[in-house]
Amino acid sequence: MQRPTPRRLSPYAAGAGLGVVVALSMAVFGHRLSGAGAYQHLSGFVGQRLVPDSMYWRHVVPTGLTWDVLVAIGSLVGALTAARLSGELSLRTMPDRQWSSAFGPSVVRRWLLAFLGSILTEIGGGIAGGCTASLAVSGGAVLAPGAFVFMAGMFAGGIPTAFIAYRRARE
Amino acid sequence: MTPWMATVAPLAIGFGFGWFLQKGGLSRYETIVNVFRFRDLTVLKFLLSAVVTAAIGIRLLDVLGVAAEVPIPPTAIAGNLLGGVVFGVGMSLSGFCPGTVAAGAGEGRLDYLIPGGLGLCVGAVLYGVLYPELVPALARWGRVGAVTFADLLRVEPWLVVALLTELTALGLYGLERGGSRPSRRPSSHTDSRSRPTESAPRPSDRAARSA
Repeated sequence: MQRPTPRRLSPYAAGAGLGVVVALSMAVFGHRLSGAGAYQHLSGFVGQRLVPDSMYWRHVVPTGLTWDVLVAIGSLVGALTAARLSGELSLRTMPDRQWSSAFGPSVVRRWLLAFLGSILTEIGGGIAGGCTASLAVSGGAVLAPGAFVFMAGMFAGGIPTAFIAYRRARE
Repeated sequence: MTPWMATVAPLAIGFGFGWFLQKGGLSRYETIVNVFRFRDLTVLKFLLSAVVTAAIGIRLLDVLGVAAEVPIPPTAIAGNLLGGVVFGVGMSLSGFCPGTVAAGAGEGRLDYLIPGGLGLCVGAVLYGVLYPELVPALARWGRVGAVTFADLLRVEPWLVVALLTELTALGLYGLERGGSRPSRRPSSHTDSRSRPTESAPRPSDRAARSA
């Protein structure tokens, strides 16, 4: 396959690049870089109908096309552009090889676990007060203790889950 | 900020976010899940590199006088920890986090766009419904507030940034040194066809199992 630009940066270089983005977002614009926030700010469209007198959607999170929602849209376009330029853009329903060699070729299974997993990340991010971007990186960058507590929790939850999931995998 | 800037700035910030997630390979299921299996430490390296660079960057922007009011995420030990655990379980099952869902979707991954995006929306609504029950209960434990290590230790932020940078560099250097030895298992990137076939029994495995 042709590679017009390098497909991958080293994790250190890509991380440093993200670090610059986070520094600009935090210091110049006064916004944490957020992944989970966008969905919280969209949730009110349904939530306010579900629980009309909810103090959460009235006072705690805004509803609408907020800064975080625009960041999410931008990140989709950014990844699309990066993937397009390195010839990695393609529609697919499944992850690459590892998933199916461990859990079989069922798309339904992958999509169900992806759905369940993303519900948990969004709820967990809400409870923690941020996600990998808005708490671990943005919080770590301003030396907030909570960021490091969150990272410890993330690995404490993720490691046993991965080992249980892969216990019977053939891979 | 003008309305024009208020639209273009977050889109540009997001563009950079998605760009570096994709370039770092973070928008792949394998990269995320394999950090939890100790097979591929890309996530850890990426995360720590981002934290240290952003920490130095924010200090520099502050010195240059460009920095506005920098937001400090609040620390509440019970919430940060418990939320982190739930988050980690979800991340390990799905192979993504809320930020990488949009990036993966941009790469053309429908398992990110459809069940991923839908799940995040459902999760956000569920969290909103559960909020009145969950949050007051958790907030009682270990609530420290919007503070930094520099506040707590009453030292210059630069000192903590220097310490964090040094510790991270040392830790990552150690990881690279330790990880440079040939691994026991083939990495996930190698083609499955190049591995020893499953049909050929490996005597050492047999012996180890029967022992």
